[in-house]
Amino acid sequence: MRTEHLWKIYPQDPRPVEAVRGVDLTVWRGEFVAMAGPSGSGKTTMLNLVGGLTRPTRGKVWIEGEEISALSDRRLADLRMHRIGFVFQSYNLLPVLSALENAEFTLLLQGVPAAERRGRVRELFREIGLEGLEDRRPPKLSGGQQQRVAVARAVLGDPALVLADEPTANLDSHTAEALLDVMERLNRTKGTTFVFSTHDPRVMERARRLIRLVDGQIESDHAESG
Amino acid sequence: MRSRLPTLAWLALRNLGREMRRAALTAAAMAIGLALLIVSRTLSDGAHEDWIDSGVRLGSGHVVFNAPGYRDSESLEDRLSEDQVEAAFAAVEGAGLPEAVLTSVRVSARGLASSPDGAIPAWILGVDPAAELPFSRLGTDVLEGRYLEERDRLHAFIGQGMALRLGLRIGSRMVLTAQAASGDIEGQLVRVVGMFRTSVPEMDDVLVHIPLGTARDWLGVEGATSVATLLPHSTFTGQVHQAAAAAVQSSGVEVTPWEEASPELYSAVRIDDAGDWAFHLILFAIVALAILNAVFMSVLHRKRELGLLRALGLSSRQTGLVVFLEGVLVTAASGVIGVALGFALVWIFFRNGLDLTGLMPEDLSFAGIVFNPVMYPVIDVRHLTQSLFFIAVIGVSASVFPAWQAAALDPAESVKVE
Repeated sequence: MRTEHLWKIYPQDPRPVEAVRGVDLTVWRGEFVAMAGPSGSGKTTMLNLVGGLTRPTRGKVWIEGEEISALSDRRLADLRMHRIGFVFQSYNLLPVLSALENAEFTLLLQGVPAAERRGRVRELFREIGLEGLEDRRPPKLSGGQQQRVAVARAVLGDPALVLADEPTANLDSHTAEALLDVMERLNRTKGTTFVFSTHDPRVMERARRLIRLVDGQIESDHAESG
Repeated sequence: MRSRLPTLAWLALRNLGREMRRAALTAAAMAIGLALLIVSRTLSDGAHEDWIDSGVRLGSGHVVFNAPGYRDSESLEDRLSEDQVEAAFAAVEGAGLPEAVLTSVRVSARGLASSPDGAIPAWILGVDPAAELPFSRLGTDVLEGRYLEERDRLHAFIGQGMALRLGLRIGSRMVLTAQAASGDIEGQLVRVVGMFRTSVPEMDDVLVHIPLGTARDWLGVEGATSVATLLPHSTFTGQVHQAAAAAVQSSGVEVTPWEEASPELYSAVRIDDAGDWAFHLILFAIVALAILNAVFMSVLHRKRELGLLRALGLSSRQTGLVVFLEGVLVTAASGVIGVALGFALVWIFFRNGLDLTGLMPEDLSFAGIVFNPVMYPVIDVRHLTQSLFFIAVIGVSASVFPAWQAAALDPAESVKVE
């Protein structure tokens, strides 16, 4: 994933808000990246720009070599379905669907046959400790379980990139660590690229690359050696 | 887009399942609206058919054959010859109706009815009693005495109003005076054998039935002034009129449908029909608001969820389509329930009718017809199809705006909504 001179300006009275200001960033396949910064630093806007949920005011975004900022609504939707996975802070799941149905939703949209979908979901559920919870609806799952289902949904479509917007913000310490374990393991075993926006020091500690954003600009970008 | 339609429909169905109470209330409002529409439509059609039946029986039938010019002049000079009467009979038989048609040959004259108590205007109708009895049904509910019979010659069947005004009783004699075919004013003495009462003053005060043979001899005519036909249902009028007009074209016979022969009756039906449509428009509006409210509220409550769908890979059109399908599914479900409920109510009214006696003045009449306070439904497939079509169009249309709202949501903003 690469951004070039990326700007996002929201028209607002009395003066426009510059949420992202000329960010140049490259994230390589298999990275485990945290974008940290205070509230209003532009973390979430960056994720939305990279994920094609909002369009840049200026600048460009490439996902796996494809420039996405000028794509049509439909092409962007296809891109999100096939190449990007999202995990949000809360209310991540569709409440009318069971845990299994939520997890397989992207695969369903991709047209993967039912048997294959179910097989992949059950295998991943076993791997991340959700076995036995397949038929539960979101209100019957704990916060940590819901986030794990969301992570499962995000990675099951084999995306190029998983964008996680403060995924641990509403979780207690133990549950947050467990969720990070899951994502770290998926990153290592499947090679899935994760980009987090976070305030959470636990996420920052686990990240192998930490980007600090301040006022919509990259203040620092440190990758762990080795 | 096409291949994802089943998935989107499945999701729409699941969404409705979650908000079952709201969906059920919306569906119930629509179903009841539709059921009321069906009941109202069938009762209106039943009432209109009743009015038409009542009007054409006492008037000139669903389709009437006359000599050209007769409807304007009402003169015996403009009468049908015997051959033309035969041609009219043949035309009705050739119209190819599946059910029986009643036909009545009539000699009609405007004149005076007089007794020792005075003289009043009269509409004198020479009829074949056997053919006229099931046609006008005046003789089936006789107030006093009896109806005309085949053997009668100098006998008359009159309205109660005329009897009161001329001081006549059963067995009383009266003199009918009218202009004969020769142009001379001729009188005919007849004896009252029976009386009727229709509650229509223009009938009860002036109408006199006498035997057809007596009218022909007295007025010097051989054919008839009209051949009236009564069809199994008014909807056959157009078909019979068209076929008969083509069949008698060469015979110089004029064929007129009831809408033209009884313009007041036709206007009454049309005006009432317009009133029904106004009522139906109100029902349509209620149904539209029910769907619009339910689907729109569900969009407002689910902004985050709809944003999530966008993030997961639905395009704005597909997200709108999910919401649109929710409205369509509610419309379809309520349509099925509404039709079932509507026909169940119609079935009850088929058996017992809807009795409005307490709401109507007794003997209410208008445009030569008597209003029956007990309404029975009639299923007119064309009208019902129209109503169902409108409900479907309204249901679908009312889902478009919320769907458009859902499609227009900014996904980045929507996923922030707590």
